[in-house]
Amino acid sequence: MLIVLQNIFRFVLLVLFQVLVLNNIQFLGYINPYIYILFILSLPYQTPRWFTLILAFLIGLTIDTFSNTMGMHAFASVMVAFLRTGIIKLFTAIEEGNNPIPSFHTFGVSAYIKYVVAMVVIHHATLFIMEAFSFSNFWIMSLKIIMSSTLTILLILGLQSLKTK
Amino acid sequence: MKNLFSFLIQYGVVFLFLFLEIISLALIAKNQDYHKSAFLTSSNAVVSTLYGWNNSVIEFFKLSAANDNLSEENTVLKNQIINLQNKLSTLQPQVSDSGLFLIPPEMEYQFISAKVINSSTNKIQNYITLNKGEADGIKVDMGVVSDEGVVGIVKTVSSKFSVVIPILNPKIQISCKFKRSNYTGPLVWSGEDYRYANLTDIARHVQLAMGDTLISSGLTSTFPEGVPVGIIEDFKIRPSDAYFNIKVKLAVNFRTLSHVKVINYLNYNEQKEIEKTTEE
Repeated sequence: MLIVLQNIFRFVLLVLFQVLVLNNIQFLGYINPYIYILFILSLPYQTPRWFTLILAFLIGLTIDTFSNTMGMHAFASVMVAFLRTGIIKLFTAIEEGNNPIPSFHTFGVSAYIKYVVAMVVIHHATLFIMEAFSFSNFWIMSLKIIMSSTLTILLILGLQSLKTK
Repeated sequence: MKNLFSFLIQYGVVFLFLFLEIISLALIAKNQDYHKSAFLTSSNAVVSTLYGWNNSVIEFFKLSAANDNLSEENTVLKNQIINLQNKLSTLQPQVSDSGLFLIPPEMEYQFISAKVINSSTNKIQNYITLNKGEADGIKVDMGVVSDEGVVGIVKTVSSKFSVVIPILNPKIQISCKFKRSNYTGPLVWSGEDYRYANLTDIARHVQLAMGDTLISSGLTSTFPEGVPVGIIEDFKIRPSDAYFNIKVKLAVNFRTLSHVKVINYLNYNEQKEIEKTTEE
């Protein structure tokens, strides 16, 4: 029960932080971090996959509604939510029956960093490709993917390292 | 039947995944339409209310800059009044004998002032949300200007809010012309920098200079003639090209945009109608 409340709280907090603060911060013109996917990253490992997908769709759609980008965030979020279990299995060895909440503490530092980097890069790449909808602005798009991913990764790792203490 | 169920359970997650992705794609595709519904965009009531609150906080910090702007505008207007009064007083004596002067100009354009409550400059397709809508007389396709120059065109309206496509969105082109030579061409944003846009349709025989002013052409019914759009920052032409590649510094700073005016062209319907009947 506690964990449900915790996740609802995290959902609301991350959406508000994303749309009210981060969407207004535009470093150097086109770097915009999307930290809301920390919600998908931090769902407990054994959350049913269908439920993860629906939650990801919901948070994506919420962000879309606020930033007038109908469907793009929903698409990217559902994409990472689908790949999440596979990526966790790739980097960690979780014993059968355990249900850890992904963090530095439960995954180990290097596995968690790999997990965050993989998820964020996939999410941002999907998002910016959907946004451009073509490869005509390829270099601008790649630059946006790299810069924004870096910033999101740093923000997420920073936040998480504060939390473990 | 049993096989079908076990198949569905085994691949249920994949189906759900594909289903949600298709919904997302459908939403994206629907959003490409010029006139989309106002539901699930930032003219939605909940979202705009939240943005309204957020904006009232941010607005407080922008007050001093807005004050400066207003007082500057005030001075300009006052000067204009004095100038006009002077002109009026010199013209008045002649009215009685000729009757040609002082014909009241036809009130073709009306301004509806509005406040920007949400905007972006860093996406490939940017939008601006205004705090006024249908109830205040705003309609789809009206032009939007600020004190500095052309901003964009109204795309969606709800009863209290409206969404504007600014120049910073490749979905629209603004027809503009050079103040000096009257050559017209469409202005398009390249998606890179919120300060610059490109003009690509000017033939090579036109004489250009750095710093030439670009104004709205008045050829479309959205903007009156002569609203500033930008100035030429740079222009290039290769020996094989027929058209200049002109980089235009936009007159409006979209990052600090907070108050705009929506242009209500009173004869819009009549003009559209007569143009339509002629085409038929």
